[in-house]
Amino acid sequence: MTQALGNPVLDRAVLDPVFAPPFPQAVLPVLRNPQLRKNVAHAIDVIQGKRARLVAEKTDWQALRAAASQVRELALEDLGAYLTEFEERCTAAGGHVHWAANAEEARQIILDILREENAKEVIKIKTMTSAEIKLNPFLEAAGIGVFETDLAEIILQLGEGEPSHIVVPALHVNRSQVREIFERRMGLKDLSDDPHALTDAARNYLRRKFLDIPAAISGANFLIAETGSVAILESEGNGRMCLTLPRTLITLAGIEKVIPSYKDLEVMLQVLARSATGERMNPYTSLWTGVTPGDGPQNFHVVLLDNERSSILARKTERQTLKCIRCAACMNGCPVYRQTGGHAYGSVYPGPIGAILTPQLMQMHHAQSLPFASSLCGACYEVCPVKINIPEVLLELRSQVVNQERRTPGRFFDPMYLGLRIANVLFSRAWLFHLAQWKARIGLRFFTGKDGWIHSLPSVGAEWTQTRDLRGLPKQPFHAWWAARAKGAK
Amino acid sequence: MNEPGTSRQRILGRIASATKAVAKNPTELATAYAALSRTYIQAGAMSAEARVTRMIERLREYDAEVIECAPSQLAGAIALQLATSGRRTFVVPAGFPSKWLTAGFEWKIDHDLTAAEIEEADGVVTAATCGIADSGTIVLHHTEMEGRRVITLLPDWHLCILRASQVVEALPEYFSLCSQPPRLVTWISGPSATADIEMTRIKGVHGPRYLQVILVRDESAQVQVN
Repeated sequence: MTQALGNPVLDRAVLDPVFAPPFPQAVLPVLRNPQLRKNVAHAIDVIQGKRARLVAEKTDWQALRAAASQVRELALEDLGAYLTEFEERCTAAGGHVHWAANAEEARQIILDILREENAKEVIKIKTMTSAEIKLNPFLEAAGIGVFETDLAEIILQLGEGEPSHIVVPALHVNRSQVREIFERRMGLKDLSDDPHALTDAARNYLRRKFLDIPAAISGANFLIAETGSVAILESEGNGRMCLTLPRTLITLAGIEKVIPSYKDLEVMLQVLARSATGERMNPYTSLWTGVTPGDGPQNFHVVLLDNERSSILARKTERQTLKCIRCAACMNGCPVYRQTGGHAYGSVYPGPIGAILTPQLMQMHHAQSLPFASSLCGACYEVCPVKINIPEVLLELRSQVVNQERRTPGRFFDPMYLGLRIANVLFSRAWLFHLAQWKARIGLRFFTGKDGWIHSLPSVGAEWTQTRDLRGLPKQPFHAWWAARAKGAK
Repeated sequence: MNEPGTSRQRILGRIASATKAVAKNPTELATAYAALSRTYIQAGAMSAEARVTRMIERLREYDAEVIECAPSQLAGAIALQLATSGRRTFVVPAGFPSKWLTAGFEWKIDHDLTAAEIEEADGVVTAATCGIADSGTIVLHHTEMEGRRVITLLPDWHLCILRASQVVEALPEYFSLCSQPPRLVTWISGPSATADIEMTRIKGVHGPRYLQVILVRDESAQVQVN
């Protein structure tokens, strides 16, 4: 997934880091779309308010965060042991475990299972991992009808939209837009834009599909090594439908999703729903272990996906990225995301976690602008239930991007790198520095206003002054003042 | 990318080399796991009465309907709830006691009912394994009294019988009661819901739209899970 595949089905500009424009450019259409910004800000404010209230009532919140963080850390440090334990237990319980080194392998494994089952159609529980590997367009091109069942995913699938959030993917769509999509695609007349009516429409649209379609695809919130079980948290019951009714169930999970024991859920369940949707507990959490005779799918497959996760694991600072439990609290808390929404990130993983995860999944070959899409205010770290120090990883990735760029021959004369190289020379020699200061004071005098500020510079300097003012240079620089002061004291 | 072997070997090989500085042997791993900080609340401090009150309060916040009854009144309470619902056909799990199957309703006992048969029913009546007061959560282990997962999913109306002695205050208490991790679990916190449209919580999407709970006041009994 690191390059264009030369495949008309899978090469799409939308939310593909390979094709996405850099963040500052991608963000412009959003900033000019007041409706979209209003939808995003409204949704974010609602979730944030609920989360804050429910976290505040939890007197042991910090202890839960510490435990959640440690459980995830330990699981990653000994990932090999826990994954093989999961595989062994899941297999013993009647499941089939497959390993996929990359997106292509995962897609092929899933298609082969569906073909073997003779499934012409498949129902899906919301899984961002499947969006990461572009599963839907691949299956559709192979002639398999794919039906999303999460309400937000139906809105996006029918409206041909893209997810802008990992928990509430249609957060940028408002009720009247949903009504328009449902009317058009479900052939309903006189549908009201009351969320109850819209929800009912989705229920009716999917009911027969749940009962008739023989195969389902899910993601996983947690894989439990001790028991070989999989856990899924959801709200609507579409997940339970997919996990219970079909003959065949395929679970696609990143290798990092494993936790050591059943008991660890006592921590994870307490932090996840509160962080994600601001509820004490999400309406439904399901856990199943392999195959249970007489209850649910009798044919169960788990596809464990690496897709660059093992290379993230190898890096000390970046490893914590994989602790993520996909609650989206970081994007809900992020002042940048609140203004831009998710699409500008050009990835299925937006927001602060996306800004660190996406470029790493791309082996730093794409999405290099994302680590800079942050003010480093630290709000994401503060709300993260597993204590991922996102600003720390952002800084590490920024330094990698800068190192990459300044060594790129084409950027040798890039004003920023040229300027920094000059600064490097000037700042290391006092006499050169003083000379430069003197020259700059003369040169900048023409641009400095009466208020002592520079409001507009020509040429490359304009890139700075376009969006901010610059303080004019003082008549007497500090070192001159200091020298004069010392003389005066004598 | 062209490492030899199967994908399984390649991935495990890459993980092993990525974690070689931190990975532990099984004994060390067990020690490290046991040493994890678990300073969060392990057990609540409420009285039994306050715990049950909290459970009821939280269930009602989710829009579940709750009534209470003494153990001796249970059959009557079930009949009353069914009658008030205005529904006729009810699914019950295979192990559901026949003394609770009141006359006047059509009962479908789940001896491998088909999805279509379950879908046609108006409601379902089951027991539960545990209640967690802190979050108003009902835990099903899908035992003989709780039934297969599908029966509490397709009918639009779920009547769940929870005994006061099954209610714990904090989630970790439930986990410490599980001597053996169960194979199948469903945690239910209120009726099916969504907030996908403008973050407005709407009750009832695909799962049961109505959750009713009969809380049986049998306080004297001990809390048991497995």
